[in-house]
Amino acid sequence: MNAEAMPSQLKSGASHERDVLVDSVGRRFTAPGKIFTALENVSLTVERGEFVALIGPSGCGKSTLLRLIAGLDEPDDGVIRIRGALPEQFRNRGELGIAFQDPALLPWRSVRRNISLPLEVLGRRLSEYKDRIQQLIELVGLEGFEDSTPGQLSGGMRQRAAIARALVTNPSLLLLDEPFGALDQILRRTMNLELQDIWMRQRTTTVLVTHGIDEAVFLADRVVVMQSGPGRIVEKIPVPFARPRDPGLFRDEEFHRLCDRLSTLLHAGDSHR
Amino acid sequence: MNRPLRSLVVTITVFALWELVGRLHLIAGRAFPPPSAIVADWVQNADVYAVHIAATLRSASIGFIIGTTIAILAAVVFVQVPLIERISRGISITLFAVPPITIGPILVICFSGAVPQIILAAITVYFPTMIASLVGLREIDPRPIDVIRTYGGGSYSVLRFVRLRAALPGIFAGLRVAAPAAMLGAILGEFGAGTRWGLGSFLLGSLGQANPGRIWGIGLAATAIAAIGYVGFGIAGRAVLGRTTQVTVAANSAPDRLGAGPGANVAQRIVISLAALVAPFIVWWAVLAALELSPIIARNPAATFDYLLFAEHSAIARAKLAAAFSTTLPAAGLGMILGLAAAFMLAALSVLRPAVARALMPPSLVLQTMPLVALTPIIVLIFGRDLAATLAVTISVVFFPAFVTLAQGLATVPGAALDLVRAYGDRPIRSLFLVSIPYSFPYLFAAARLVAPRALLGSMIAEWLATGTGVGQLLNASRGQLDYGMIWATAMASVIVAVIAYQSVTLVERFIIRT
Repeated sequence: MNAEAMPSQLKSGASHERDVLVDSVGRRFTAPGKIFTALENVSLTVERGEFVALIGPSGCGKSTLLRLIAGLDEPDDGVIRIRGALPEQFRNRGELGIAFQDPALLPWRSVRRNISLPLEVLGRRLSEYKDRIQQLIELVGLEGFEDSTPGQLSGGMRQRAAIARALVTNPSLLLLDEPFGALDQILRRTMNLELQDIWMRQRTTTVLVTHGIDEAVFLADRVVVMQSGPGRIVEKIPVPFARPRDPGLFRDEEFHRLCDRLSTLLHAGDSHR
Repeated sequence: MNRPLRSLVVTITVFALWELVGRLHLIAGRAFPPPSAIVADWVQNADVYAVHIAATLRSASIGFIIGTTIAILAAVVFVQVPLIERISRGISITLFAVPPITIGPILVICFSGAVPQIILAAITVYFPTMIASLVGLREIDPRPIDVIRTYGGGSYSVLRFVRLRAALPGIFAGLRVAAPAAMLGAILGEFGAGTRWGLGSFLLGSLGQANPGRIWGIGLAATAIAAIGYVGFGIAGRAVLGRTTQVTVAANSAPDRLGAGPGANVAQRIVISLAALVAPFIVWWAVLAALELSPIIARNPAATFDYLLFAEHSAIARAKLAAAFSTTLPAAGLGMILGLAAAFMLAALSVLRPAVARALMPPSLVLQTMPLVALTPIIVLIFGRDLAATLAVTISVVFFPAFVTLAQGLATVPGAALDLVRAYGDRPIRSLFLVSIPYSFPYLFAAARLVAPRALLGSMIAEWLATGTGVGQLLNASRGQLDYGMIWATAMASVIVAVIAYQSVTLVERFIIRT
């Protein structure tokens, strides 16, 4: 894991194995009269097929980092490459899937037409994707609701539609920004299991931003712990549990030991509060 | 009793009382005819009414289609290229504040046939449609935009997939307000156009006939058509959108002020503000140049400034203009303040007694669309031909839109804020003064901005039709005397005064509410 601290990585020939490269990235925001450092000297790589969870307190810059990887924002310092390309170039190829805490569905479109939105933005022929969209609707368990509008769905169903939309282009990189943050604990568990299911089938490289410690440990191959003031990475911890992970893991002793360790790390920067 | 039955009973009672009062000449002598006399005039002269209504409807509809099309396209351009919006702000505010009655005579000079009415209708619908569409296009949920950008979509994709559809409720709200405005514009265009057909010409021709039933008949017919347009677009909007749309244009959405938005440095702001200030004059000059009209009748900005400042009789012209405005402005200002105060008190009362708001809101929504031209002769019949008539017209054109805006403002007060006061003792008066009124302050200013140009227009119409004083009279007389210089100078001065009034409300608002 030390490899990612090496400055020579840009020249590395093994870039096809590495989906996400974040090198010494900084991002500052200016509010009237002051400068807020959202990210400082952040470096991270994500291997192909890896599931990485970013975890940290509010204001640690984890969502900012995700937006930088998505190309929705640009870093002030450092370099970001997705499969060797700039984030903007990569996303224009339609290989990026994204879901936010808010499902961000268009209220006037049916579930099916919300899922097809990325294809329309990319200018693809919808007729070629009919089967794929139907498969995704079944994958996220929304059969029978294809023609419902978001207003007719529950919060969990809307979030599932958003996940299906994120998968519709068959992305090679999936970015999830607290996609279950607005759901209750029980529904969240269910969605965690479903997400693992989906991920196991597709093995899409995934970056998940969350503030749920158990969610991060349950889903990820590696948990990246961030701290605020300024936003930075403090630790990267591999998660050893074999897949598929079943709900019994939530009661596992080893699981809790890891969660406790993460919790300690997260509260390390807390002494001044 | 159930609700429809009760309102039926109320309606029948109102009409029965009106009939009684009218028959017995209890109010304003014969100037207050019973409804049966009005209906009788409609029935007996149905063919005449039909011809006039058809003429006005034709101009209003063509103007409506042209004006709203331009307005929606302009809003799309403005949202895609904000710089154009900033530079055009001067033109937008001018089109909002311009009293249509002042450009009517100009249009009659420059065009013939139904063209003046059509242009005036298009001008009156432009602003409400443009601003409602702009707000609808601009104020969208930002989160789907991130989704679209993630797939490489740019501002065109955002427009296509999100903005245009999200703006539909706003656009329909704009069309709803624009429909009655088109009627008003068309009728005002008929004033002084010398056209034979149209409700405006019909009204002018009937003023001397001592037939109150006819005056009321024309006024009510115009109001009914405007109300049908207003209600019709509401129904159409609901049918298309499948849910309720806004009832009026968003109260705070009138353009803010001349100048640049955030993100520009001082030098850029000054340049953009200057461009916004100069743009209306450039448009004025360019339109006249394109039309190739005789410079004797079509005066460009240079000729108009020359007439007012340097020409031989410019001192006389300035004195006439100053005298006219010194009559009109106090009346317009007083009428506006009284109308706003009445609306504010009634809106506050309706917080204490919600039943009042429920009862007043539907008629107010319809009455704010009333073409004020049609209303003026009726008020004259009741109030006579002096200052009281001007004030009455001004107050009645100010009151309804102000009440609608204020009542909506008071309805936005968060329930939790009211509950907080209630938790310390249930005293409605106290929560009115502690919570509701402070909350509604921005709406009071929004209402003031909305009605300031209307107050000026109301006073001018009353002066033109009834009192024979002030700017309205000056316009009417200059038109009769073919004093082209004065017509242009009066129009320019009225627009400048209206824009200054509008900007003053904004300045006072900024001074009082620092947010």
